[in-house]
Amino acid sequence: MMADKKRKSKDGMAQSGKKDREFRNNKRKNLSYNKKNKKEDASEKRRRHGPRLPNALRKELDVFNRTVEGEPSDVDERIDSDDAVGNDVYEYEEGIAEEESKKNRRFDTVENYQYELPEDFQDSDVASDEGEDEDNIGYDNENGNEGRHTRMLEEITGLPSDVFGGRKKKDIIITEAYPESEYNPSSDILDGDGRISIQDLLDPLHGKSGFSKLRKNLQRMNKKSVPTLAPLPKPEQERLERKAAYEHSKKDITKWEPLVKRNREAPTLYFDEDVDLGFSTIGAIASEFEPRTDFEKKIASLVNQNEVVEAHKKDGARLLELNKISVEEVMDRQQRLAKMRSLLFRHEMKAKRVKKIKSKTYHRLLKKERRKTAEAALQMDPEAAKEHAMKQEFKRAEERMTLKHKNSSRWAKRILQRGLQVQDEATREAFGEQLSRHAALTRKINSVKESSSSDDSSDDYDSDDMLASPDGDAKSKLLMKAKEKTLKVLEGDEELPKSGVLSLPFMVRGLKKRKEAADEEAKLALEEYESSLKQLEDPSASGSCERGASSGMRVFGVPKRVVNETSKKVKSDNYYANSDSEDDVEAQEDIVIENNQNDKSLREADIDPSLLREEFEISHDSLFKSFQDAEDPETKTTYDVAFLASDSWKKMRGSSDASKQTEASNHVRKSEITVGPMKHDQSFEENDDDCDTDSGGEMVDGILSSGPKSTYELPSQAELILRAFAGDDVQEDFDKDKEAVLDEENPEPEKPVLLPGWGQWTDIQKKKGLPSWMLEEHEMAKKKRNESLKKRKDAHLSNVIISEKLDRKAEKLHTKTLPYPYTSKEVFEQSIRMPIGPEFNPATAIGALNRPEVVKKAGVIIKPIQYEDMNVRERAETHKHNGQRQRKAKDKNQSMRKKAAKV
Amino acid sequence: MEVKAANMDRINLIPAAEQGVSEEEDMKVKKYLRGKATDLGALQDKKLKGQLAVREELYGKSAQAAAKAEKWLMPSEGGYLEVEGIEKTWRIRQEAIAGEVDVLSSRKQFDIVLPELGPYTLDLSLSGRYMVAAGRKGHLALLDMKNMDLIKEFQVRETVRDVVFLHNQKLFAAAQKKYVYMYSDNGTELHCLKEHGAAARLQFLNKHFLLTSINKLGQLHFQDITTGEMVGNFRTGLGRSDAMEVNPFNNVTAVGHSGGTVSMWKPTSAAPLVKMLCHQGPVTALAFHSNGHLMATAGMERKIKLWDLRKFEVLQTSPGHAKTMNFSQKGLLATATGSYVQILGDFSGSQEYSRYMGHSMAKGYQIQKVVFRPYEDVLAIGHSMGWSSILIPGSGEPNFDTWVANPFETRKQRNEKEVRSLLDKLPPETIMLDPTKIGSVKPTRKKEQPTKQEREAGKEAAVEGAKSISFKKKTKGRSKSSKVAKKKQEAVANAKKPFLEQQAKDAETSKKKRKRNEVENQLPKSLQRFARKVPTT
Repeated sequence: MMADKKRKSKDGMAQSGKKDREFRNNKRKNLSYNKKNKKEDASEKRRRHGPRLPNALRKELDVFNRTVEGEPSDVDERIDSDDAVGNDVYEYEEGIAEEESKKNRRFDTVENYQYELPEDFQDSDVASDEGEDEDNIGYDNENGNEGRHTRMLEEITGLPSDVFGGRKKKDIIITEAYPESEYNPSSDILDGDGRISIQDLLDPLHGKSGFSKLRKNLQRMNKKSVPTLAPLPKPEQERLERKAAYEHSKKDITKWEPLVKRNREAPTLYFDEDVDLGFSTIGAIASEFEPRTDFEKKIASLVNQNEVVEAHKKDGARLLELNKISVEEVMDRQQRLAKMRSLLFRHEMKAKRVKKIKSKTYHRLLKKERRKTAEAALQMDPEAAKEHAMKQEFKRAEERMTLKHKNSSRWAKRILQRGLQVQDEATREAFGEQLSRHAALTRKINSVKESSSSDDSSDDYDSDDMLASPDGDAKSKLLMKAKEKTLKVLEGDEELPKSGVLSLPFMVRGLKKRKEAADEEAKLALEEYESSLKQLEDPSASGSCERGASSGMRVFGVPKRVVNETSKKVKSDNYYANSDSEDDVEAQEDIVIENNQNDKSLREADIDPSLLREEFEISHDSLFKSFQDAEDPETKTTYDVAFLASDSWKKMRGSSDASKQTEASNHVRKSEITVGPMKHDQSFEENDDDCDTDSGGEMVDGILSSGPKSTYELPSQAELILRAFAGDDVQEDFDKDKEAVLDEENPEPEKPVLLPGWGQWTDIQKKKGLPSWMLEEHEMAKKKRNESLKKRKDAHLSNVIISEKLDRKAEKLHTKTLPYPYTSKEVFEQSIRMPIGPEFNPATAIGALNRPEVVKKAGVIIKPIQYEDMNVRERAETHKHNGQRQRKAKDKNQSMRKKAAKV
Repeated sequence: MEVKAANMDRINLIPAAEQGVSEEEDMKVKKYLRGKATDLGALQDKKLKGQLAVREELYGKSAQAAAKAEKWLMPSEGGYLEVEGIEKTWRIRQEAIAGEVDVLSSRKQFDIVLPELGPYTLDLSLSGRYMVAAGRKGHLALLDMKNMDLIKEFQVRETVRDVVFLHNQKLFAAAQKKYVYMYSDNGTELHCLKEHGAAARLQFLNKHFLLTSINKLGQLHFQDITTGEMVGNFRTGLGRSDAMEVNPFNNVTAVGHSGGTVSMWKPTSAAPLVKMLCHQGPVTALAFHSNGHLMATAGMERKIKLWDLRKFEVLQTSPGHAKTMNFSQKGLLATATGSYVQILGDFSGSQEYSRYMGHSMAKGYQIQKVVFRPYEDVLAIGHSMGWSSILIPGSGEPNFDTWVANPFETRKQRNEKEVRSLLDKLPPETIMLDPTKIGSVKPTRKKEQPTKQEREAGKEAAVEGAKSISFKKKTKGRSKSSKVAKKKQEAVANAKKPFLEQQAKDAETSKKKRKRNEVENQLPKSLQRFARKVPTT
C-alpha cells in the first residue's frame, strides 16, 4: 500500500499519450520525467537519482519539503504547470486513476463520483488500491466535509440527506491517539476488517421508507460495476463529438431530402404563388377613397351623415323615409320631362322628314329662304349689316392685295406650267371656279342689293338648264323662250280688273290702249325672233344630222371595234403564215362593209343584226352538225366544260381566219353581245370548229399543231439517232464528271516511277522491276482512296453526285459542341426534334413547353425554403408514378413496335 | 359513281368504332410527335434523364392536344371519286363530274379562250385564290378565282416566258424577253431586274424571299427581293434549261438540264448539292411532292420517273412524255403533254402511282402548264388557247390553316401577314438538303486543314519553346558560350523543321495540281484566260 503524492506535469501528460490507455487498465502510472526541471537543477537531479528511501522517511521528507516551500500539497494541474515551484522534483510516481486527478476539467462535474480532496488536505491514508469504490466510500473525512459526502450518498441512493446525517454523526465517535493522517491509518482500516461497506451503511436504513428502492439501485450498481473509463484524448473525443453531431445533423437534414428532391426535379419553380400585388377589386379600391375636393367632401358628409349611416346599418326602410319628396315636385318634374321628350321627338320627326325629301326645288327653296332670312336679319339689324359689309370689304381688299385667287398659288402655277388642256375635267373646273371667285371678289360692287338680284337671276338661269347646253342651242333656246313669252302675252287675254280703281272705265280704256301698243310691239318682236330662229335652224339641223349619224355610230360601236380587230387579226394571220392574200382581201371587204354600214341609217342598223342572226343560226346549225359528225367523242368533252365568264375579259373570237364566213359571220359576232350566253356558247363552239376544220390552222412555231398529231408523233430517223447518241454521251459525260469530282477530293495516287540508274543498278532494276516498297506504297495509297470513296454518300449510286462540301455560311446554324448535359449526339438531336413555337403546338401546350425554370414576379422577395412535411404516402406515390411512367413508355414503345410489325 | 368535292364542310357526326378511333388518334399523335422519343433507358445522367422525361411528357401532351384539336379544326373531308363495279375512274369525264357535284364546285369547270396571245403559263398564289396568267405574246392577267373576277390585265408587248407570284398577290414577277420585271397588282412596273437576263423560268422562295431564275445561258440567280441583294449567281454549266422547280420541303432549287441531269442548288454554294442523271434525253419537266421525298421528272426519251429523294433512287418508271407536271397537295400528280392531261394517283400507299383521271382538251390545244389549285379540287391548265379549269376530286387539301394561307384573307390580315413573314424571313443559308439538321451538332470536317495563321502560330510557339531551353552546365569546355549558342541554334532549327517540311509538301502538291490542270486544258496562251473553271463539287 502506498499513499503517494503525485506530481504531474502537463508535459508528462502529453508525453505519455499512449500510456494513458494503459493507465485505464492498471491504474498505475509510469515514471515521468520533467525534462525542464532536470536541466534546471543539478542538486535536485542528484536527489532524483538518489537511493530508494523507505516510505516513512519519504513521507517525512515530503512534509519537510512542503513546510519549507510553503506550498500546499495539491494535486491540481494548475499548480503542475508552474516551473518555479520546488515540488517539480523528479519523483517516482505511483499511478493514480486519471479521473481522480481530474485533469483539465475534461469531465462533467456531475458524473464525477470521485471523492475530491479538499484544498487543505493533508495526506491521509489511502484506503487501498483495490478499488475506487472503497476509496470513495471508505474515506472518512476528518475535516468534516460531510456536505459532499452526503450529497454523494444522496445521489447514489436518492434518499434525503438527513437519512445519512444521523448515522454519520454516530459513526464519528472513534478517536485515535494520534491525529488521523495518511501516515497513521486507523486501526480498523489497517486490520482490514472494520471496513465500512455499503451494506453497513444500508443496514440501519432497513425498514425505512424507500429502502427497497435504494437497495435495488445499489444492486444494480453493483451488477454494473464496470469501471468508469478514462477520458479520451482531446482529438479523439472531438472526433467522436463531430461524428455524433454529424449523425444528428444528418438525421436532421434528411427530412429535407424529399423537399429538395421535389424542387430539383420540378421543371419550373414558382416563387410568387401567394403574393398580392396591390388592389384587385373595385371594392378594395373604393374603400381607400378619401374625399379631397370640396365637392367630394360635401358628398361624403352627406353620405356619412349619422342618420343615413344608421339607416343603412339597421334597415333599408328608413332610407326611404329620409328620401321623401312632395307629390307636386314629382308631378312637375314628370311634366317637364314629358314636354322635353315630345319636343325632341317632334324635332326628330321633322328632321327626318326634311331629310327624306329629295326634291331639288324644295331644297333650293329652302336654301333661298335661309338666305333670305339671313338677309332680312341683316336688313333689320343695321349693325349686323354693317359688320357684314365690312367683312366683305375686307375680303375684297385682301384679295386685291394678295391676288390669292389669281393663279398665284403654287398649285395653279404648276397646273399652268403643265398646261390646262392636259388636266382632267375636275381640275379644270376647280381652276375655273377659282378664277371666277377672284373675279367676284375684285369686282366693284355697287350695293348689296344688286348682287342679290343678280343671284336671283342666275338662279333662274340655272333652273332653265341653259348653262349646260352648248352655245348654239342656248341661242335658239333663248329665242324660243322669248317667242313663247311674247306669244303668251299676245294670246293671253288679260283679265281686266273688275273692281278697285282699275275697274273704272277711263282706266280700262287706258289700259286697252296700252295693251294694243304692246301687242304690236310684240308682233314685231315675234317676227324678228322667227327670222333669227330660221337662221339658226339651218346649222342646228345639220348638227342634228350629225348627231344622228354619230348615234348611229354608237349603235355600230361594235363594228368599229371589229374593224380594229380584223386588222389585228390580219396581222396575226400573217404571223401564223396562212393564206395571206385571202385574208387581206377579206379584211378589206370587212372594212368596206363597215364603211357602208356607217352610211346606213339608224333604222337599218337596228334591223340588220336580227336578220343576220337568223341567217347565222341556219348556217351555224349545219356547220355544227357536220362538225359533230366529224369529231370523235373524246374531244367533245371540252365543249361541255366550256364556260363563259364576264364579258370584260372574254375575247370571243375565233383564232384563225374566218375564211368561210363572210360578212354574215362578222355581223353575227357583232350581234353576239345582244344574243344570250347560250348563243355565245354556240359561237364559241363554232369558233372551235373553225380551227378544227381549217386545215391551214397549223401553227408554225409550235403553238398550235394539227390536232390529231398533237399527242405523240414519231420522231424522224435522224432525230432518233441523234437522241440515241445524245443518251450515250450523257452517261459518259456524267461519269466523267463524277470522276472529276471524286478526284478533286481524293486525288488518285501517282504511278510509281523510277529514274533508271537511281537507287539500284540498272540491270538489277530492269530484272526486278520497281522496288517492292514503292509498289506497296502505291497500293496503300490506292486502298486509302478507295476507302474514303466508299464512305461517300453517293458511293453506291452511280448516277448521283452528292456534294460533300461543307457550307461555311451554314456552319453557324449548327452547334460547335454538344451542349453540357448531353453526352451523345443522337440523344441531343432527338431532344430538339420537336419545335416548341406557337405555330407548331396547340395553345394549351405552348405555355408548359416554354415555361422558364423559375417563375417569379419582379420585385418579389424570394423567401428561404420552408420545411413542409411531405407525408410518406405522397412520396410513395411520386415514386410509383415515376415508375409507372417509365413502364408506360416502355409499353408504348413495344406496342408501337408491334404495330409496325403488323404493317 | 360518287363524287365529292372538297370544302363541302361536312362534319362527320357519327362516331366511328372505338377501336378505329383510338388507332386513328394514335396515328395522328404519332404524326405530331415528329419522330421517336429519346431512349431514356440508355442515359447515364440521372438529371438529364429526368429533364428529358419531363420534356417528353410535355411533347406527348402537346401531340395529343394537337390530335384532339385536329378533329375540330379540320372538319372537312377531302373530295373523292368513287366508282362502282366495272367503272374506272379514268373513264369518268368532266361533264359527268359536273352533274354530280354541287353548283359551286361545278362553276369551277370552265374554259377561257384567248386564242391570240399564245400559250399561257399560270401561277397561283399560296392560298389558291389568285391566279396570274401570262400569255407568251405579252398578255398578263391577274385574276381573283374566288369571285371569278379580273383584277388587272395588261399587255407588255414582248415575249413572256414565265410568271410567278411573289409573297402575296400584290406583287408578281414576269420573265420577259430580255429581263425579269416585277409588277404590282395594278399593273405598275415596279422593277426591272436586269441581272437575271433573259430568264426562262422563275420561282419564288416565299420563306426566304428569294426570287430564283434560270436564264438562257444556264445561269442561276437568287435575288433577295426585300433588299435587292443578289444572293447567289451561279453558272450551272449544263446548258439551257426549261425546267426549274423548288422543293417545298427544303427549298432547294432543282433544275432539269438538256443533258438529262437534274441538279439541285442552294443559294450559298457555287456547286450543286446534288447532281443526278435522271434521263437519257433532256429533262422536260420536274415536280416535287410537298413532303419533299418524292420527285417526278420527265425526259424527252419518253419516260416519266419518280424518285425517292431520301435515297436518290428511282421508285417508278413509266412511259410517256410530259411538257409540264405538278403534284397536288394531296399527292396527285398531273402530267400534261399536247392536249392531254393525265392525273396519276398513289392509292396503294406504297408510292406506286397509277392513273387516276384523264382529260383531253380540244385538239390542237397545246398545254403549257398545269397547276393544282391549293385548297381546291381544281386543276388549272394553261394552254395555247387560253386557260381551263377542271375538277379533280381529292386533289386539294380540304382544310386550310389561316396562319399558313388564307383564301378569305382581308386586306388587314394580308398586311399583317406581310409584316410577320418579313420578320420571320429566313436567311438563305438555312436552305440545305436536310433542314431538320439545323441546330444539331456541326458535322466534322474530314480533313481539318490548319489555316495559315494557325500554322504560323504553331511554328512560333515551337521556336520559342526551343529558345527557352536551358542547358546543363558541363565541364571540360563543353559549356563554352559558343557551344551553347550553337546548341541553341540547332534546337531552334529542329523545332522549325517539321513545319518547313509540311510547307514544302503543300507547295509541291499545289504545284502538281496546277501542272495537271494545265495539261488538261492545253490551250494556246492567249485563250487560256477563257478556260472554263469548273465549280468543284
